[in-house]
Amino acid sequence: MITIRLGVGMLLLAFMQLAGWPLARAERVSMTMRPDLTAIAEYRAGRADKPVVLILHGFLQTADSPVIFSLTEGLAGEGYGVLAPTMTLGITHRRTSLACEAIHTHTLNDDIVEIDRWVQWLKRRHNRPIVLIGHSLGSLTLLAYLDRYAATPVRKTIGVSIMEGRLTGNPQDQEKSILDLKQRIRNGQREPVRQPYSFCSTFNAVPESLLSYLEWSPARVMAMSRKHKSRLIYIMGGRDDRLGPGWVEGLVKTGVTVRIIPGANHFMDGEYEFDLLESVIGELKGLRVE
Amino acid sequence: MKPIKVSHLSLAFVGLILFALLGLGTLMWLELGQLTSRIRSQETQAAHQEVSDGLARMESSLRDRVEALGRWDETRQQLIYPDYYVMWRDLRVRDAGMLPAYVSGVALYDKQGHILVEPRGEFMPSELVGLPGRIQFSGAGDDRHLYVFFPVHADPDGTIPLGHGAIKVDFPLQFRLIRAYRYADIQGLKIQLRAQASGSLAAAISRIDYDTLPNQNLANIKEVLQVAFMRLLAAMLLILALGAWFFKRALVSPLNRISRDIDKLKNAPGDSRSLVPLENPMRVQELENVRRSFSEYHEKLALLRKDLEKSSQDFFDQARHDALTGAFNRRAFDEDWRALADAGYLGKCALLLFDCDHFKTINDSYGHGVGDLVIQAIATNLTHALRTGDRLYRLGGDEFATMLPNSDTPSAEAVAERCLHHIQSHDFRRYGLMEPVSVSIGIALSEHSAFNLHELHSQADLAMYSAKRPGNRKFVFYSGDIDGMANLVSNIRVNAVYNAIQNADALQMHYQPIVALPANHTAYVEALARIRHGDDLLMPGEFLTIVEAHRLDVEFDLAVLRSVESDMRIGRLAADTGLSINVSPTGIVDESLIGALLDLKEHQAQRKMIIEITENALITQIYRASENLRRLREVGYLVALDDLGSGYSSLRYLSCMPVDLVKFDISMIHQLVSDDPKKRLVVGEIANIVSANGYQIVAEGVETEEHLSRVVALGFNYAQGYLFGR
Repeated sequence: MITIRLGVGMLLLAFMQLAGWPLARAERVSMTMRPDLTAIAEYRAGRADKPVVLILHGFLQTADSPVIFSLTEGLAGEGYGVLAPTMTLGITHRRTSLACEAIHTHTLNDDIVEIDRWVQWLKRRHNRPIVLIGHSLGSLTLLAYLDRYAATPVRKTIGVSIMEGRLTGNPQDQEKSILDLKQRIRNGQREPVRQPYSFCSTFNAVPESLLSYLEWSPARVMAMSRKHKSRLIYIMGGRDDRLGPGWVEGLVKTGVTVRIIPGANHFMDGEYEFDLLESVIGELKGLRVE
Repeated sequence: MKPIKVSHLSLAFVGLILFALLGLGTLMWLELGQLTSRIRSQETQAAHQEVSDGLARMESSLRDRVEALGRWDETRQQLIYPDYYVMWRDLRVRDAGMLPAYVSGVALYDKQGHILVEPRGEFMPSELVGLPGRIQFSGAGDDRHLYVFFPVHADPDGTIPLGHGAIKVDFPLQFRLIRAYRYADIQGLKIQLRAQASGSLAAAISRIDYDTLPNQNLANIKEVLQVAFMRLLAAMLLILALGAWFFKRALVSPLNRISRDIDKLKNAPGDSRSLVPLENPMRVQELENVRRSFSEYHEKLALLRKDLEKSSQDFFDQARHDALTGAFNRRAFDEDWRALADAGYLGKCALLLFDCDHFKTINDSYGHGVGDLVIQAIATNLTHALRTGDRLYRLGGDEFATMLPNSDTPSAEAVAERCLHHIQSHDFRRYGLMEPVSVSIGIALSEHSAFNLHELHSQADLAMYSAKRPGNRKFVFYSGDIDGMANLVSNIRVNAVYNAIQNADALQMHYQPIVALPANHTAYVEALARIRHGDDLLMPGEFLTIVEAHRLDVEFDLAVLRSVESDMRIGRLAADTGLSINVSPTGIVDESLIGALLDLKEHQAQRKMIIEITENALITQIYRASENLRRLREVGYLVALDDLGSGYSSLRYLSCMPVDLVKFDISMIHQLVSDDPKKRLVVGEIANIVSANGYQIVAEGVETEEHLSRVVALGFNYAQGYLFGR
């Protein structure tokens, strides 16, 4: 019955989206991360009796990416408070996805800092449980955030299609690249390095930037997942072809709750976005507002 | 006004066509020029609109471009974190496709307008003067490049200035790329840009020069029209040339030919040839009609001319020919004579005069119809007898003539004999004539070229009269021996004859005795006329030819009667002396003379009166003559036939007419003393016959005793001659 009800609700949500009828008032908020660096986010306050969710986009994406937009709207429609920030990636008021070929100077740590700032921003505004939802490498970023900020008020973190940041090639090459990047950093060589990374065939990043993502190897992900498995839930697509072999199984092995949406790909698009929303909502229902 | 030649007219026509063609060509050229100007003007306006549109598009594009660049996250990234600005400027911004090819330079400036990093290649201003709060345009100072300055804001609303940007644009390149230009020629685009920044692109341009693209279509159309016109002109010229050739061949040449032919015919009016049709396959019907009509007209004219010439010739011939005989007339004779004289042929020229003997008698006796036939026959025979080229002239009633240039006596004689032969050979009996017809020919030869016609004619005339004399040859050449006749036929002698006819005193009668044989006493006398001519007396032989020639026979006979009557009245003739009077053949049929004779006899009833009619005179009206003689006999006249043996038809006269006496001609009497016994026998036999038939016979020309003895022996009743008195 629940499934049917949610399905009807998603259909209604879709209809309202198509009709251009905002389900909840969207508010664009910004936050000055540095004096010359301002981050922006889409924010919906949601009902007071429901948790507030921070949804983090994937690598180089923005809050306007489809899966984030879908989740944002879906959750907001359900009355959840939603904050969908766009990581600045070193660009003030960044509004568009950053090209792989752009000069990437941002690091994973910079992203973690900005997430924390947004979590603090939510905490200052609400006394409701804070849930983090990340997509793809955004899930990795949230995992790193959990590892970095152990005292975070975040009650639950949902990693959708979590994946490690890796270079294409065998693990030996990746280790060699990491060593090379570290050497560059030590040598003070700050010229960007063009490497195929994740879905970027040419990722043009300064060594610190690339290294910050490469350091999150699968093993580290697995370890950190195991470490924070109590606050972690992974939702994976049953037909995610961007994942390495045995990745989901590894995640399962970490003890983290892993939910599989059969047939869904990495971006949970199409009809699977509703399944994703339904899964997310299912995870959020267990959170009680004090 | 002088008429215009058709060739000139055709040339003028061709010139007019050429002028019209040139005029049309010029008009077309001008119209084409005006059309070209209008199209050029429109194209200039279109080019202007294109340029304006290009500038507007360029400005819009540049605005879009710099706005996009200003909104680009990575632009803001550089303003915040410019460590990799050079890489961004030199590589990234282009790799990202933010700057098209016509942007040769890009630079970012901080909020204060300081360039982030000085460029290494393309010059960009280091400082921005007057920080642009909005997009501005200014020239780069080289009239080719354009700076576009734009603000960069952190937020989409443009409330948070972050810095500035500038791009350097290759103006002509972008202007060419911004759109396609159909009318404006921007290859040679020249611009002048203001250094001061302006809010619009147009304001940044102080001057822009460009050309209008040549309208290839117009040029093609113009070329096509020019080629078409030239071809048309060439075709028209060709057609004109062909037309001129055709016109010349079909009209001008035939007209000229006709004109020349007409001129030729005009210069040779007697040419009866037709206008020769042109050997031209392109013949114009009307011209052919003209040619044919003119040809027919000319032929008719030629025929008419021929007719006229023929008529003229006929008139000429008629004027120079005798209508009755066809021989040339006196006019022709005179003209030919003058022509011969002018040609110098009179030096040895023979003039032959022909005269029909006794023609008046023939005419009077048989009528004019027979007379005309005789004349025609004489003319025909004479013509046939003449040499080829010799002409026969009829000078008067029975008088003909011919001239024989370069002739001498033998040749003239041969001609004369041939003429006589032809006449003698001709059978005149077919015309009803019972008597022979003869002609007398007088021939005169010119001895030198100074001879004139009158002189030669007179000589021939004399010769002809001489030929008429009994006993002479029928053709006589003039010689000094017959000069005496000249006197007779001279005007003086003729006047004497006329005077004698009119004045009885001028006529003197001699009465020659005729003696009865064998008693030898005067039986009667024969009245013989003499004409007083001054102190001389003209003998009958000297004036009878004049009488006969001038047809004065009856008048002379009457004059003789008057003279005889006078002599009888005055007693010059004894009352008992018989008288014999000669009557001409013409007179014997003349009623007035017969009347006079009857009157005379009435007054001389007691006197023996004898009428002598000459045997050698042709009496054609035998019946009438016989009747008259019968009337005379009834009143007492005796009739004597004179000159038997010298004339034509004495025996016929004897059988047809009432004759009492027959007078033997002197030639017969003299035959009696001839050595030829046959001649004597013939004369004797004739005398016997005549005598035997009851006629009294008279011997004429008894001049000697021998003559007398002979005639007495033959039984002649009377004798006459010098033996008895002159």
